[in-house]
Amino acid sequence: MMIEILISVLLLTASIVVLLASIGLLRLPDLPTRMHATTKSGVFAIALIMLAVALYFARVDITARVLAIITFTFVTAPIAAHAIGRAGYLSGVKLWSKTVRDDLKDYYNEKDTDSS
Amino acid sequence: MFEWVIEIVYLLLSVSLLLAFVRLAKGPSLPDRVVALELIASIVAGMVGVHAIDTGISAYLDIAIVLAITAFLAAIGFARFIQVRGMHDD
Amino acid sequence: MIGLFWNLLLANCWVFLTGSFGVLNYLFGFLMGYVVIALIHKRVPALEGYPQRLPRFFRFFGFFVWELLLSNYKIAVDIVTPPWHMQPGVIRYKLFAKTDLEITLVSNFISLTPGTLVLDVSEDKTTLFVHAMFLRKEEEVLADLRNLELRILEVIR
Repeated sequence: MMIEILISVLLLTASIVVLLASIGLLRLPDLPTRMHATTKSGVFAIALIMLAVALYFARVDITARVLAIITFTFVTAPIAAHAIGRAGYLSGVKLWSKTVRDDLKDYYNEKDTDSS
Repeated sequence: MFEWVIEIVYLLLSVSLLLAFVRLAKGPSLPDRVVALELIASIVAGMVGVHAIDTGISAYLDIAIVLAITAFLAAIGFARFIQVRGMHDD
Repeated sequence: MIGLFWNLLLANCWVFLTGSFGVLNYLFGFLMGYVVIALIHKRVPALEGYPQRLPRFFRFFGFFVWELLLSNYKIAVDIVTPPWHMQPGVIRYKLFAKTDLEITLVSNFISLTPGTLVLDVSEDKTTLFVHAMFLRKEEEVLADLRNLELRILEVIR
């Protein structure tokens, strides 16, 4: 009974996190802020759900598989986010109009003036 | 009680799938769509986990593993593609 | 790294000698190996500093989970309430990390903390370009990043 309550709490938290992430994906104004909403929440939710799965089955082989999934997502999600964010930035996606500052633009401008 | 929790979780995940799909269809630029696609992959992997709990069949977890791997590869591939192609109208 | 290798070797020895192959027994062997290394590490220069690493790792793990929860909550509040409180922007962050592995780990963890996202690394590998969501006080964001980086370096160095 205790374990069922724990699993329920984990699953509900995960689904609420995912729901917030998708609301954020819909509402937020530009690419980097949208990625803030999705990448971490996706990883977090998968970790929570997989923990619930491990608790539910309570078997060694399942737990090993669950740990593999969690580690894999934790390693790959930031790499994918970095790749997409960089590619999007370089291909000229506009940042939000209220963005406070943009040091990366300065950096690329400096580099262009250096090389030319 | 527990069945109800599973139902609610399915419902919430489906709603978020729908919202992410709206962003996938709307997305002003290709990177936005890729981000939405990645979130969809995460949601589906989560759904597979919930389904494994629901049915009690642990073999479904393999699907989640494959899904996580392919989502990562797709994201990297799209990133390369965007970088090479530059900015056009989508 | 060499300490971890010796620890795994000792764990393997334990499993083979006891002859029961199970995860629990392996973990127990690992624990025993860890205790042995903790006892002798002062006399063997190659093992220096290995036993302090495990508690540091757990401290970092706890810190990171706490940070994850806290900033997830912050972003969630901003997403749900209609007016935007955020002030996004891209800032420079000078790295302490030197090698490629350290830079990869540090930027991965910075990307995993909600509210910060690594967009690019400068070509001379000294600066990260971090997209931060709450840039009200830049010094605070930079101090948080520095804290995270120092904790990671403490574990892997």
